[in-house]
Amino acid sequence: MNEQTFWNPVLETLSHERLRALQFKKFKRLFRWAYEHSRFHRGLYDQSGMTPEDIRSFEDIQHVPKVEKSMMRDIQRKDPFPYGDALCVPLHEVTEFRQTSGTTGQPVYQPDTWTDWEWWAECWSYILWSQGYRPTDRVFLPFGYNVFVAFWAGHYACEKIGCEVVPGGVLDTQARILKIQELKATAMMATPTYILGMAATAREKMGIDPSELTIDKITCAGEPGAGIPSTKKRMEEAWGAKVYDHAGATEIGAWSYECENQPGGMHVNEALFLVEIEDVATGEIIDEPGKRGKMIITALDRSAQPCIRFDSKDIIEWDRRPCSCGRTFRLIKGGVVGRADDITKVKGVLLAPSAIEEVVRSIEGLGDEYEVVVDKRGDVDRITLKVEIIPGRQDMRSAIEAQLRDQLRLKTNLGYQLEFHEYETLPRYDVKAKRFKDLRNAH
Amino acid sequence: MPPEIDMEAMNEKIQAIKKNAAELNRMADHFPAVVRNTARILSSTKMLEINVSDLVNLEVER
Repeated sequence: MNEQTFWNPVLETLSHERLRALQFKKFKRLFRWAYEHSRFHRGLYDQSGMTPEDIRSFEDIQHVPKVEKSMMRDIQRKDPFPYGDALCVPLHEVTEFRQTSGTTGQPVYQPDTWTDWEWWAECWSYILWSQGYRPTDRVFLPFGYNVFVAFWAGHYACEKIGCEVVPGGVLDTQARILKIQELKATAMMATPTYILGMAATAREKMGIDPSELTIDKITCAGEPGAGIPSTKKRMEEAWGAKVYDHAGATEIGAWSYECENQPGGMHVNEALFLVEIEDVATGEIIDEPGKRGKMIITALDRSAQPCIRFDSKDIIEWDRRPCSCGRTFRLIKGGVVGRADDITKVKGVLLAPSAIEEVVRSIEGLGDEYEVVVDKRGDVDRITLKVEIIPGRQDMRSAIEAQLRDQLRLKTNLGYQLEFHEYETLPRYDVKAKRFKDLRNAH
Repeated sequence: MPPEIDMEAMNEKIQAIKKNAAELNRMADHFPAVVRNTARILSSTKMLEINVSDLVNLEVER
């Protein structure tokens, strides 16, 4: 094993037992910190009768009350403005403001001290190093540097690793492609939607084959696409590059990543985070592989606004297999496979929108864009799937339709009303795409 | 753990950096350039503690 494989050759190869002991020690430290410095956390824990002295064993962690996103929204209505009473440090120590995208409601504001921001970059350094980023890389960042955390910490981690960073901030897509071409950038980071959109722009509007540019690795975030095999394949073929998934959130941090071996899942950084999987029906913690549940997560070293047993709503499961890369950080199989609030019952069947994406993007001749609309026809649920056939493949339409129907039935157990639209008429997205629309309660 | 990594020796150096940076920070009350730069050193030192010292201290506690 090459010693340069790991950002931290000690923590990333630690035994499960020692990792657990480290997590327990850090959890106790964090719990006490929050109890002593955050009015919100003290109130929450006092209500449940828990004090720092009650955390005596790893199993006691399961009894610590969870924090929901809705609570964070309530917190920030209180003083000090604009963060509220979960803030554990004096306001003048906050150096970073970020906010959530507001996809699921009112945005949550996130304060970080400089030490927290160093920690963010440290989390990302584990990710990028595992994906082969090295000081010889020239990394292009095609995202709007603004209030959303997005790839900000990726930028700082690149600097920490020693990469050369090219900020592609306010450039438009074509200017970004030209800059990648001019500078011979070797890596970039973006959402899967934008990666596919950039490739289409390069090919169709600029006559540039993106696979002939010099990008050899791409790190994705913000959407599940890089964990969906057919979407990953499309991106890798378009750019002639390896595409890696990672998961993170503003309130949590960058907690998991796919390594260079692309094991079909993501490592949880268990030195910096404690991930618990909760059975959605029973509330029990699932330790065994192969059973899905929602993620409850603790960021073990974040201090200004602690993240302790945060109910992320992400649906994950532990993988049985260890990774051939040698990391002992456990894998979650297939990455984040959905969100508890996205997975919905249609015609009595549980439907994860990512399953539809996997089908659409596995079919040759279909464009990258699609839209799913669920509504009611009388009392019966109806799902409409809108797709586009790429130019020059119209003669394949009946074969594509038959394949689409078969695969959708097989992968989702549901029947669909299919609509074929002109190429480039479905909405295009630059950041987080909204391709799933549930209109059943719209009226 | 790779045999050539001496975590305890690294931790001793980290604690020395932390002690020196903290002392420098305290003695520079009216010298913002020193105060703010040592604050940054202390933040970086915390990352060293996360990567090294927390584990060393865990071994000591066992």
